[in-house]
Amino acid sequence: MSNGTQTPRRGALAKSESRQALGFVSPALAGLALFTFVPVALSIVMGFFDWPTVGEKTFVGFDNYVKLFTDSPDFWPALRNTFVFALLYVPISVALSYLLALSLHSRIRGRGALRVLFFIPVVTPMVANVLVWKMLLQPQGLVNGLSQTWFGIELPNFLADPQWAMIMVVMMSVWQGLGYNMLIFSAALEQLPESVVEAARIDGATGIRMLWKITVPLTSPSIFFASIMTMISAMQVFVQPQMLTGGGPGNSTQPIVQFIYNQGFKFQDLGLAAAAAWILFAIIIAMTAAQFGAQKKWVHYEH
Amino acid sequence: MKKMHIAAALTASAALVLTGCSAGGADAGSAGGDKIVVDMWAGSQDDTAALEAQVAIAQKANPDLKIELRTAPWGDFFTKLTTNMASGNMACVTGMNSGMLSSYTAGFAKLTDEDLATAGIVKDEFADGAMEILSNKGDAYGVPFDMATMLTYYNADMLGETGAPVPADGWTFDDFEATAKAATTDKHAGFGIGMGGFQWQALPIAKAGVQPVKQDGTLDLTNPAFVDAATWYGELVTKEKVAQPVSSASDTGWGENQYSSGMAAMAVDGTWNAVGYLDNDPGFTAGMAPLPAGPNGSLGLVLGSGFGIAQDCDNKEAALKVLGSLLSVESQDYIASSGRSYPARVSSQPLYFESLPAEYRDQVQSAFESAFSNVQGQYVTDNWSKIDTFIQPQLVSVYNGQESMANVLKTAQSQFGK
Repeated sequence: MSNGTQTPRRGALAKSESRQALGFVSPALAGLALFTFVPVALSIVMGFFDWPTVGEKTFVGFDNYVKLFTDSPDFWPALRNTFVFALLYVPISVALSYLLALSLHSRIRGRGALRVLFFIPVVTPMVANVLVWKMLLQPQGLVNGLSQTWFGIELPNFLADPQWAMIMVVMMSVWQGLGYNMLIFSAALEQLPESVVEAARIDGATGIRMLWKITVPLTSPSIFFASIMTMISAMQVFVQPQMLTGGGPGNSTQPIVQFIYNQGFKFQDLGLAAAAAWILFAIIIAMTAAQFGAQKKWVHYEH
Repeated sequence: MKKMHIAAALTASAALVLTGCSAGGADAGSAGGDKIVVDMWAGSQDDTAALEAQVAIAQKANPDLKIELRTAPWGDFFTKLTTNMASGNMACVTGMNSGMLSSYTAGFAKLTDEDLATAGIVKDEFADGAMEILSNKGDAYGVPFDMATMLTYYNADMLGETGAPVPADGWTFDDFEATAKAATTDKHAGFGIGMGGFQWQALPIAKAGVQPVKQDGTLDLTNPAFVDAATWYGELVTKEKVAQPVSSASDTGWGENQYSSGMAAMAVDGTWNAVGYLDNDPGFTAGMAPLPAGPNGSLGLVLGSGFGIAQDCDNKEAALKVLGSLLSVESQDYIASSGRSYPARVSSQPLYFESLPAEYRDQVQSAFESAFSNVQGQYVTDNWSKIDTFIQPQLVSVYNGQESMANVLKTAQSQFGK
């Protein structure tokens, strides 16, 4: 009987709360509509139009997509550069930050301070980071200066050499993003189930065996999360090459997002830019889906 | 009930979206009413203060209008302008630069003689060639407030220490090479190689006596005279070794920065930076001379910036009045006497030289008068910004000896000259 009287009250409360919640969430919904749904819908439409900044928009069907694949000298190199960057950046960044998190996991003194130090590049403005790296890497910079003073060897002009420029963009990006993944892995390592670890120790697992058979599988959801997010951010890389190498020399470090930026904002061809953006979107979705598909084989969830 | 909630949320969202849109519209310079927005680039507090002073002059002349100034740094201004143009939000009075105009003509109204009369602009009161600055294919899209050309700037202290010959009016490219070589030491280069469009093209154009674009707007990058001169320019780094190779394609101001930081004895830059170089931070004695002369003389380009009227401006007459006031004698006298830029209005030009410290005055006046005596309007193609964007990162490879200048120009010609 008492249950019967309480149920409607809970229902009224829930309804009232949901109304309030809706009120609170509506500004966010408005933001979502204004800054996400509308631009996304508009960009789909744009991709099918010859859409100059000012002037008549003409429906061209799939011409922008065809043009990108067949007649745009910078599109394929930009795609290639993006893949090269992601292929180098994602494994190095994930592996290094995992190693760093492991190193700082042991009960060493000052590990909190060390974590903060490694996290500093993540929160420092990219412009400042790039300036420092440029000062290090330019021919009159610190790296070449030390090399000449100590070893008498003149190093290449790193940011102006087509082979070295991409490596330097990757290095700088890894340095910049290391702290973020490190924090994710540190959190996962802190939460390793003591019982499992202890049981493994009793069974004699140590060192690499302990790492490979126990620690990595137990933290695999975090590794999966970090890999997905790092891959998505790698495919969208823009600021590092734009500021460090200007996409050059030539177009050897120009990623697809810089290509999109140039088409849209420098050349005012918004239709072509939108089409390229949707190609990038499709690639990212496909890669993310593939990663989600593959996770069943290697990610270990505790139920 | 659920449907009602969703409807309420959507209504609230739509209301906010629409509020946001209409707020954007109210700020727009092209909106109706008596408010005229002036949009111009400004890179520093000083730049903004100078613009505010000019707007105050225009406001005084048009008390019935409300003039609002919007600024953005040079690097962001054109990105913002593109966005504003795309969204129909372009300010009624918008700043424009000669080198950028070809990409933005669609956003600006063509100015007729009646428009200029409404603005109170008398063409003859402006310097020869000034009206070409913001014209494209014979149509005027704006009126310049300043005019500029390229000069050779030098570090007199550095030239004195190395005993290098000092650039002077009437000097030749042989003299240029002699100075650059003599001023090159282990500590500094003789010349700061250019990366920006004007900065790298100025010497090749002066040497070849031709522009890389024909007068009718046809791309002519493979003109043999220009290719030879541009090749010579690249070889200042690779062969003559009087300039440092550029360290990154993102170093768009490489040569000028090398010069202003005391790492290079000479650089080519616009007259707009003359006062800045004279008051340089490292404190060296700066000097300036016209570009050296080639076999056919020394061809320079007349450049500059000014204001135009947005194509979709609802209150064109008021905007024209504001434009006229921003280019009035009082306003031009102000920018001249503050030494900020060399005004396009003839009567104001002497004030620019008077504003300079006495020890520099004669040298600057002589360099300016000589440099402006052999200038031509810049010819550009419709896709000039694409060409500029393509060539700049390629220059890095040229200066580092991995690519030939002739090949870069040939590729650009075949890609963009169709």
